[in-house]
Amino acid sequence: MKGSLFTSSFLHGLVLTVALVSLGAPEKLEIAPMESLPVDIVPIEEFTQIQKGSKDAPMAEKSAPVPTKKPAIAEPAENVGDNEVDLKAPPTPSKRPVEQEVAAAPEKVETPAPTPDAKPNEVKEVVKEETAPPPEPEPQPAEPAPAEAKPAEPVPAETAVAEEIPLPESAPVPPSRPQPEIAKPVEKKPEPKATAKADAKQDTRTRETAKSKPQMESDFNADEVAALLNKTDAAGGGAKRSTDQEALGGKTDTGGSTLSQSELDALRGVIQQNWLITPGMADAADVRVRVTFRLDQSGALVGDPEATATGGSPSAQQVLMSGAVRAVRKSAPFTNLPPDKYDAWSEVVVNFDPSELM
Amino acid sequence: MKTLLLRLLLVCAGIAGAYIGPASAAVEININRGNVQPLPIAITDFISADGIGAQISAVIEADLKRSGLFAPVSRAAFIEKVQNPDQPPRFEDWKVLKAEALVVGRIVREPDGRLRAEFRLWDTFGGQQMMGQQFFTDPKNWRRVAHMIADAIYERITGEKGYFDTRIVFVSESGPKIDRKRQLAIMDQDGENVRMLTNSNDIVLTPRFSPSRQEITYMSFEGQQPRVFLLQLETGSREVVGNFPGMTFAPRFSPDGQRVIMSLQQDGNANIYTMDLRSRTTTRLTSTAAIDTSPSYSPDGSQIVFESDRGGRQQLYVMGADGSGQRRISFGDGSYSTPVWSPRGDLIAFTKQSGGKFSIGVMKTDGSGERILTTGFHNEGPTWAPNGRVLMFFRQNSGAGGPQLYSIDLSGYNEQLVKTPTFASDPAWSPLMD
Repeated sequence: MKGSLFTSSFLHGLVLTVALVSLGAPEKLEIAPMESLPVDIVPIEEFTQIQKGSKDAPMAEKSAPVPTKKPAIAEPAENVGDNEVDLKAPPTPSKRPVEQEVAAAPEKVETPAPTPDAKPNEVKEVVKEETAPPPEPEPQPAEPAPAEAKPAEPVPAETAVAEEIPLPESAPVPPSRPQPEIAKPVEKKPEPKATAKADAKQDTRTRETAKSKPQMESDFNADEVAALLNKTDAAGGGAKRSTDQEALGGKTDTGGSTLSQSELDALRGVIQQNWLITPGMADAADVRVRVTFRLDQSGALVGDPEATATGGSPSAQQVLMSGAVRAVRKSAPFTNLPPDKYDAWSEVVVNFDPSELM
Repeated sequence: MKTLLLRLLLVCAGIAGAYIGPASAAVEININRGNVQPLPIAITDFISADGIGAQISAVIEADLKRSGLFAPVSRAAFIEKVQNPDQPPRFEDWKVLKAEALVVGRIVREPDGRLRAEFRLWDTFGGQQMMGQQFFTDPKNWRRVAHMIADAIYERITGEKGYFDTRIVFVSESGPKIDRKRQLAIMDQDGENVRMLTNSNDIVLTPRFSPSRQEITYMSFEGQQPRVFLLQLETGSREVVGNFPGMTFAPRFSPDGQRVIMSLQQDGNANIYTMDLRSRTTTRLTSTAAIDTSPSYSPDGSQIVFESDRGGRQQLYVMGADGSGQRRISFGDGSYSTPVWSPRGDLIAFTKQSGGKFSIGVMKTDGSGERILTTGFHNEGPTWAPNGRVLMFFRQNSGAGGPQLYSIDLSGYNEQLVKTPTFASDPAWSPLMD
């Protein structure tokens, strides 16, 4: 017992001594001196907008792409629904359908024309089955021809066997069909002719699509539906609308039209610094204040900042609104905003949220 | 087909919506951090024939500065010397000083001997008048007029009721420590106009203001045993509240001023009673074998917070005004005592004893959100300013000396000594005076 105790303590002591000597302090973790890189977060437009311009135009003060043209506004037809003919624009036997809306309509009219071969067959078959007992199959084949398009026909035929007489009645009734046929000439407005060539081009384009459609028959053109719904011609898309004189490049660069994150931060910082608040105000945590103000080119306030507030008690709203407006007034003039992006900061909206401060 | 069309329509609507978005084109920024700093305010000397104008502005300035929410701009820096308080000042001169508000005024002695004090508060950055008022008063009350003007400015800018035109009742302690003379005293909240209310060698404790009348309830060791007394401030008449067999202590008024709630000690334990001041009927609210004391009403009078050691240590409990639904709200380390319900109704202030130190803290009325405002050798007896924004308490430091009064903002900032001619304890803030 004594021996083992001695051995144990001796060995423990030995191990500890060895550990004391051999296990030194860990090496220092060397951290190489690093320089921090200033990073500026800028919007992509800063570069894309610099490059805008027109290849075959001279240099100018400001670079600008080819000016976009406003598409001609189609005048609304008059007396729609009341008359078969547009009164103010009497029908003239000219050629083109102008509006896409109209271009779509003819489809329906023309589609029946190629199909009749197939359809009468179907109709006949149906009719034969039902009309077997009565001895009047002859007039019916003649009827389908005027009726032609109606794919719904089979349904009434099946349900009402005995009523062959109503069928002919219903056939002439559909008012939708005859109208487009007459409408065709109406569509050919003489006015569009006088407008710019660009319009004419567009017209031809639309006409082409209109023509091709009947051939493709059931092909559904989503673009056209969208255009119909929008009641406008399909636009070319592309960059921002430009009204400037087209130019190859600019002597001054535009720097894009949105403030970069850093510039926004700077703006926020100035106002934040000047927003003095009282912590622990009653009923103030739910108040949100929105201040809108306009700036001139030098960064000075134009007119009075407008403040609106929601939530909280009226007195807290009142106090926070005047505090927020004071912060804005005190921050003016805003001299650290980039002058070349004036368009972006001519109007500023600041949302004040005191919830974390109360 | 139909669903496809519908979908297309939705897509088109979406595109249209997205297109309208950037068209409004304003930079929009969100700010959720501000600068917790007092508001710089310039207070000019009020124009007057004698020196009273300067005195009044000095009182206004001291009031606003003591609140911790205003930083008066040094008069030495003033550029414009205001000659006519009725004309708009040169705002540029004040904007340079970063003064966000400017106070100008005039004191006129009316033919009937009264003082007319008028003032205007200008928003220097907005370039417009925020308010203008005038007061008529006896010349002796000039300090009170100054406090009222300070209240008006405070309320206009912070949105909360001011508390400068209020008074403090406290226990004045003078003489050596072994033979302290304790007297009830009253003063303005800025420590001026101190007046003794009692002059005896009996120990007085826990004075409390009536919310509606010029009346104080307190506990005094006068007579055979300690009793709760009522004191009319204007007449100086006193009376014992109720006729109880034991010692009564820790009195406080109900919010309507019609009842006094207090503790009655019997057989080693204490329970809470109320007494109706009109009918003189008493009602017992608690009946435990523990010490229930320091009751305080909620501002709507529907609930009562009190301290009790029924759980072993002193903790805070809340019950209905009729004694129903008693429940414990404090569960922290140490013991809690002297709860006071905030006049705003949202917080309860208390003294907390733990780790050999005394702290003043606040918690929500359900016991959550406990916040310690100050900690030290001995801090005790918080009382609320009538706007629920500032607390006053008394502090005794270790060693020689006696207790002194301190005020602290609800946020824990702006702790300040309230100067009193003698040592002072047990402060109680008056309600707003009419």
